[in-house]
Amino acid sequence: MNDIGSSTNPEITLAMTGVSKVFPGVVALDKVDFSLRAREIVGLVGENGAGKSTLMKILIGVSQPDEGTISRDGTQISPKDPTDAIRHGIGMVFQEGTLVPNLSIMRNLFLCHEPGFQKMGFLSRREMRKAASRLMEEVKVVADVETPISDVSPAERQMVEIARLLWLSRLYGQKCPVLILDEPTTVLNDGERTILFDILRTIKKEASVILISHRLQEIVENTDRIVVLKDGKNVTELPSSHAHISEIEQLMVGHTFSADRYREDEQTPAGGEEILRVENLGRRGAFEPISFVVRKGEIVSLVGLVGSGKEELCQCINGLENAETGSVFLNGKKMLMGSPNGAVRAGIGHIPIDRRNDGLALGMSVAENVNLLVMNRLTYAGFVSPSRERKNARAWVDECRIKTPSLGTMCANLSGGNQQKTVIAKWLSSRVSLLILDHPTRGVDVGAKEEIFRLIRKLAREGIAMLIMSDTLEEDIGLSNRMLIMKDGRFVKEVSCPPGKKPGPRDIIDAIV
Amino acid sequence: MTLEGGARKSVMVANGSVSGFLARAWRGLQKTGVAGQIVCLVIVMSIFAIGTRGRYLYWDNLQVILSLAGIPAILAIGIHQTIVLGGIDLSVEGVAGMCIVFVGLLLKNKLNTNDIGLWIVPIVMGAGGIAGLLNGLVITRVRIPSFISTLGLSWILAGIAVYINKATTVPLLDTQIQGIVNGSFLGIPLIALIALGLALLMQTVQDKTRFGGYIYAIGGDEQLAQQAGVRVNRIKIMVFVIAGVFYGLTALALCTQLGSAHPRTGSNILFPAITAVAVGGVALTGGIGGAKNAALGALIVTALNEGLVLMSVSPYVQQAVNGIVLIAAVALTIDRRKLGFIK
Repeated sequence: MNDIGSSTNPEITLAMTGVSKVFPGVVALDKVDFSLRAREIVGLVGENGAGKSTLMKILIGVSQPDEGTISRDGTQISPKDPTDAIRHGIGMVFQEGTLVPNLSIMRNLFLCHEPGFQKMGFLSRREMRKAASRLMEEVKVVADVETPISDVSPAERQMVEIARLLWLSRLYGQKCPVLILDEPTTVLNDGERTILFDILRTIKKEASVILISHRLQEIVENTDRIVVLKDGKNVTELPSSHAHISEIEQLMVGHTFSADRYREDEQTPAGGEEILRVENLGRRGAFEPISFVVRKGEIVSLVGLVGSGKEELCQCINGLENAETGSVFLNGKKMLMGSPNGAVRAGIGHIPIDRRNDGLALGMSVAENVNLLVMNRLTYAGFVSPSRERKNARAWVDECRIKTPSLGTMCANLSGGNQQKTVIAKWLSSRVSLLILDHPTRGVDVGAKEEIFRLIRKLAREGIAMLIMSDTLEEDIGLSNRMLIMKDGRFVKEVSCPPGKKPGPRDIIDAIV
Repeated sequence: MTLEGGARKSVMVANGSVSGFLARAWRGLQKTGVAGQIVCLVIVMSIFAIGTRGRYLYWDNLQVILSLAGIPAILAIGIHQTIVLGGIDLSVEGVAGMCIVFVGLLLKNKLNTNDIGLWIVPIVMGAGGIAGLLNGLVITRVRIPSFISTLGLSWILAGIAVYINKATTVPLLDTQIQGIVNGSFLGIPLIALIALGLALLMQTVQDKTRFGGYIYAIGGDEQLAQQAGVRVNRIKIMVFVIAGVFYGLTALALCTQLGSAHPRTGSNILFPAITAVAVGGVALTGGIGGAKNAALGALIVTALNEGLVLMSVSPYVQQAVNGIVLIAAVALTIDRRKLGFIK
């Protein structure tokens, strides 16, 4: 028997063994082991795409593992959905929240589990109030329990979610609930953050917590143990008391770093001509005023975590959002803000992260998608000419090496990589001068990645200026001429990445985290 | 000097207590959840009271308003839950037409010898409920937006109703139900009391039962409600069935009030009901507003129209006023953050 009293080796309450998950083209998890002791806070860290979210989704039944087992207090379980997972005392607080905004705190707490408060078919408001107030006291929320969730601060919403999970676990007779917190501190200010960790320490007396966060400082300070994932594999785990941030960073990023993968030797120096000039562009709550230029044929990488403001910055440049201050000049001409159509006309192309929904008309053919933006150039006597359409589409399909059975194939039937190449072909054919690439290699396989890197180099040679946000730091460093690092909505520093003298990921991660 | 000071002091005290009273009254009103609607009703009534030199506030006129508000209120209570759910039910005119055919066939009348008396009440409720079930099934199983599916059912039932009844007006001879619909208790029209009773019943269901809470959860965010374990489809079907039951009652009240049953009797009741729901403060985006809002909305709209009648405003201008009121009410209640695009 284990010695219950010793804090070094209490019983394992949750164990995931050999868990694998394959998505088309990507191995998301490769035989990952993960265990959690009773009354322990574990920090789960890794880069974007390391498999943290997939692992947690399997734990709460949102997706099912291809291989591997989950056991809870010694018995094997396989959660079918989040409701099933909560019966086993496993619940997750999501970044986007799962509370219904128009319902009160009280109604949200007990939503769908009210029978205990029912008397002859009617709910006892008094009993609900009493129970809700008690729960809110536990998590130190002072708001009246009948306040609608939409009027409650993000921090308090999180507390309500935590309280709900604790209450549900008790309802199902679970002695040691498992709480998963996904990036809980991104929406909190410093004071709220302190309160959150205070509460987590209190909760630890009766529950285990898995904490996912990019802020390594808070992971080291507030957890008992740290588990590091990289590329869907276990890297290592270490006790937080002996952990150093730099050490974890190194583990997260890894050592493998090949230069030729990104065709560094093909990197062209930036031309003299300014393509994009951003002056004091700012948007309250998203990013503070920032100025920079992108020159002809230059690849500039925007680097930062989720919430750093880089996504919003790009949305302002391509007109999807309206900025509050500042202006954007393209080829020396001031652009109209907040107009996607204006941005396209001015010559800004955008390769969105979600190509299936935002980048392509999936129900249309490859040819139609490639020609979409240049229809007016493919006309003869005012009517669209089928032969010109075919010629233009054929030229770009060959140029971008899109593997498609025919020009008339529906884009929905192409692989992810070829879909992405179709999106690039569409912008190439419309002769853009600036291209914004939002995670261009997300979800495409290795071969297609190489092709996309080749295309990006080719675009640069042709003088197109590019702004890139990519999946990994290595990719950013490898591809770009220059990196702009952003953190918490602020521009932090600029790093130049000339070929042959590229900085290492470790030189940069300090500025990001 | 001292006198003056004392006077000022007493004025201040009076002022303080008046504003204190008003503040307390306002807080009390806000607790009811329909403060805005009550203020709106008071304003409407004050304007007409001035406009008609007080005639508007005579007891017999107030009685008229209450008796006219009863039926729209019952209908609005039925419809509003489908809107709270995040959908809408436009089927009432067809469903009512169908129910009126049953009334004309089964209740004591001049054309046949049937006379089922009070049994007509469960029959129209049942017929309306079945129509609501159809609505619910088409929406949840065939997955057609309620806006279209209920409009379709309305046309189907209206067509069938006129076909069966051959567009004849059936004079009703029954006095029992007519006595209830047109009667009064202590001077208050019974139909208004019935509407009040139904409003209280549905409000209790909404506040005090799990079912009621789930309607709001679905209206707030259907996906999150489903994740939490709400059986969304079942709740939706139940809401449309309840709406149908209310349409049956509306139809019965309408034709007995008139004393004759014609399937087109209910052909102009949808628009005022939607207006009433919106004026009552039920957000068309779903999730906000209850039975009390719907009933009060019906009262406000009726009070407005009755005032226009009393001031001999042309019915065409009245119609235009109603349109303006609908748009204004929606503009005030809609939560635009929930709408990505205005379609």
